Amino acid sequence: MKRFAFVGMGMVAGFSAALLLFPSAHGANDSAYKQLDLFSDAFERVRADYVHPVDDGQLVDSAIEGMVSGLDPHSSYMDAKAFADMKIQTKGQFGGLGLEVTMEDGLIKVISPIDDTPAARAGIKPADYIAAIDGTPIQGMSLNDAITKMRGPQGTKVTLTVLRSGAKKPFDVTLTRAIVQVDSVKFHREGDVGYIRLSAFNEETGSGLEHAVRELKHQIGPGIRGYVLDLRNNPGGLLDQAVQVSDDFLNSGEIVSTRGRHPEDTARYDAKPGDITDGKPIVVLINAGTASASEIVAGALQDHKRATIEGMTSFGKGSVQTIIPLGEGGGALRLTTARYYTPSGHSIQATGITPDIAVAEGDEDSSESKLDHLTEANLPGHLDAENANKKAAPPVIHPPAGKKIDDFQLSYALDLLRGKVAMNTTGKTAAAN
Amino acid sequence: MQCAGLAALGAAAGFLGAVLVLPLAGGAADSDSQVTYEALNRFGAAFAAVRADYVEPPDDRKMVEDALNGMISDLDPHSSYFDPKTFADMQVKTSGTYGGIGLVIAADQGVVKVVSPIDDTPASHAGIKAGDSILAIDGRGLQGLSLDKVQDMLRGPSGTPVKLTLLRGGVQKSFEVSLVRAAIQVEAVKSHREGDVGYIRIPAFNEETNDGVMTAIKSLKKEIGPHLRGYIIDLRDDGGGVLDQAIAVSDDFLNSGEIVSTRGRKPEDTQRYDAKPGDIADGKPIIVLINGGTASASEIVAGALQDHKRATIVGMTSFGKGSVQTIIPLSDGQDGALHLTTARYYTPSGRSIQATGIVPDVAVAQGDEATPFAKLERPSEADLPHHLTAEQQTAAAPAKLNIVEPPPGNKSDDFQLAYAVKLMDGKLPARTASVH
Repeated sequence: MKRFAFVGMGMVAGFSAALLLFPSAHGANDSAYKQLDLFSDAFERVRADYVHPVDDGQLVDSAIEGMVSGLDPHSSYMDAKAFADMKIQTKGQFGGLGLEVTMEDGLIKVISPIDDTPAARAGIKPADYIAAIDGTPIQGMSLNDAITKMRGPQGTKVTLTVLRSGAKKPFDVTLTRAIVQVDSVKFHREGDVGYIRLSAFNEETGSGLEHAVRELKHQIGPGIRGYVLDLRNNPGGLLDQAVQVSDDFLNSGEIVSTRGRHPEDTARYDAKPGDITDGKPIVVLINAGTASASEIVAGALQDHKRATIEGMTSFGKGSVQTIIPLGEGGGALRLTTARYYTPSGHSIQATGITPDIAVAEGDEDSSESKLDHLTEANLPGHLDAENANKKAAPPVIHPPAGKKIDDFQLSYALDLLRGKVAMNTTGKTAAAN
Repeated sequence: MQCAGLAALGAAAGFLGAVLVLPLAGGAADSDSQVTYEALNRFGAAFAAVRADYVEPPDDRKMVEDALNGMISDLDPHSSYFDPKTFADMQVKTSGTYGGIGLVIAADQGVVKVVSPIDDTPASHAGIKAGDSILAIDGRGLQGLSLDKVQDMLRGPSGTPVKLTLLRGGVQKSFEVSLVRAAIQVEAVKSHREGDVGYIRIPAFNEETNDGVMTAIKSLKKEIGPHLRGYIIDLRDDGGGVLDQAIAVSDDFLNSGEIVSTRGRKPEDTQRYDAKPGDIADGKPIIVLINGGTASASEIVAGALQDHKRATIVGMTSFGKGSVQTIIPLSDGQDGALHLTTARYYTPSGRSIQATGIVPDVAVAQGDEATPFAKLERPSEADLPHHLTAEQQTAAAPAKLNIVEPPPGNKSDDFQLAYAVKLMDGKLPARTASVH
């Protein structure tokens, strides 16, 4: 999942490739040598006997890709070119379509189109599959290759072949690439409630949120009842921004901790005094598209009972990936190196955040649509939770039959803040924490 | 295509295991070995980084098996790595019957697709169709698994249940099918008369195929008698199998000349197989039926009979699997084996089947295969990622086929077969010669 990746971005420098070359000195064990011997043996066979000569670098790229992607769904390998591209892209703007995508069954699956991008305007929907880009079938492409193909200079055209649930045949959609400004914060007043939508966590998210709260206070005045923080379909992003956003609403205590294999990898992030909303009630909206950095915010505010979490159980991506360059010209590993834990010590991994009040938008809790809407626990080879929150899911509230409500989850949240339905969060669910 | 694989079995010995561990001892390394050394060093660096920093202690063995799987399966769709257990099982299973559900499958990198369900097996009884994608077996996702692992999961003792999660074109939601494994008889040749025409169905090429064909011809001759007009050999959805059986079946109908040749990277790898005198069909006309599921050994037969103008090829362009895989055991099989593409097939006229397939003399559709959506569901070799190219392409671009379609509304059970029977009966002009 491309953009989930940078939550724990850091360069691990100075790993020793020499480990392999100077056996006893560094204490690498026999098993490792035996396995590397096996690899070089097979490598030589392929070089000697394959039907035509093959490029050594290509062989090794494929091998590293196979090795790393076999670990878990978020670990991957970027070859030298993909790594160089990534370094450019993280600097900010790029020409793109504005799609959050993942790989499923060899096809690209849309998690969500980003608001106000070519993809959203063209009507690409969550759970659409992309079968081809400019006529080239996706099958066999890596996720990175597919994303690279969708990107390109602003103003250029790209045609996607889309498979949609319910549509009998794939259809083509032509889009014009644009600078995708990931404008991660949007807000407006809903009567006496401030509504804030976070669509991603990038460098501007924390300051954008603080601006939004200031503006809403100004617009609504002293009668403001509270805030809705909408994290639905927010696939995450930068860890420090998730920490900052959580801190904005918390006065003290732990926000999140990350724990790796070695004790020295454990990092703990604490809140500083100050709540920009002056303790007003907050409802956080989540759904199965709420992942990673978003789950950190929802988990922190839930554990501290600072917000009522409403919606459907979140995705469950509770792992940190680190970019590890492989030396000159060698690409880089994007390797899962740690897990997140919420303040109460629960791992988000595979379980996700269970809402305090489960409210469905439509029929997304039916067994059929669960197949459509993937979660971490459905991904093959996902990491286990290790210390999962075994909280039972509350009964799901559905939109009233026959009555069309545009955004039932939001309207329920507004009712909660206005006291029209009971905020039962501190009562029953407190015991489960 | 798993079954098509074992065309040439041979073990190669004498590898250089020490390259990685002993860095350039001589110092007189040429630039080629320098590049190799750097590549291996890069792999070593990645291996070390994962061992040091992954969130959990990784299993060294699994890492290397995943690496081999990644390296080999990226080469082309038919090369793969067999882990030690799969390799050991495979050696037991090459004999006779096995417990399974009867599917021929192919990997489309990450997606396992049904090439064809074998006639009269749990899979065909349950209605599994060619082109179906298998997403999960007993609830376990298949992403990242090698084809052999998948094959292994499908197999098991007769009478045991297995549940497949399938995705079918046109049906957007995946669905589950429960099957009970049965002893899968290595598929037998079947035959019956269609009026004065002898019909012979070859579902696969295994050790008994040629005997089956000879028996079928004998009994058809006896049944139909002197009025016998000719034979229809049905190779549709025949995913291939053993090379020597394809040669024997071709030889049954040819008196002389080359049947097929295989050419590898080195000239000494080239092998040529010739026909011996004798035609068990006594020179009677033959129509060979092919379609997009006709692959590998089947394409050798169709190509040989086409090039020698011994048969008229009717149906749709075949799959295009014109490569030979060799099994290369690692450490005598203790570390598994490579199933590596080492050569290409060429038809007698020197055409490579690879990626192009056999183009029929008379193109006849069954009625459901020519839509663009069908193409997505049912890839041919040329659609598979990283497929080998043809190399010795015939200069002329493939002529646009003039495809005979079944008349709308007229539901014929098997339009291609009905067409072949009419062709044999002389009720249709055989527009064969100009296509070559």
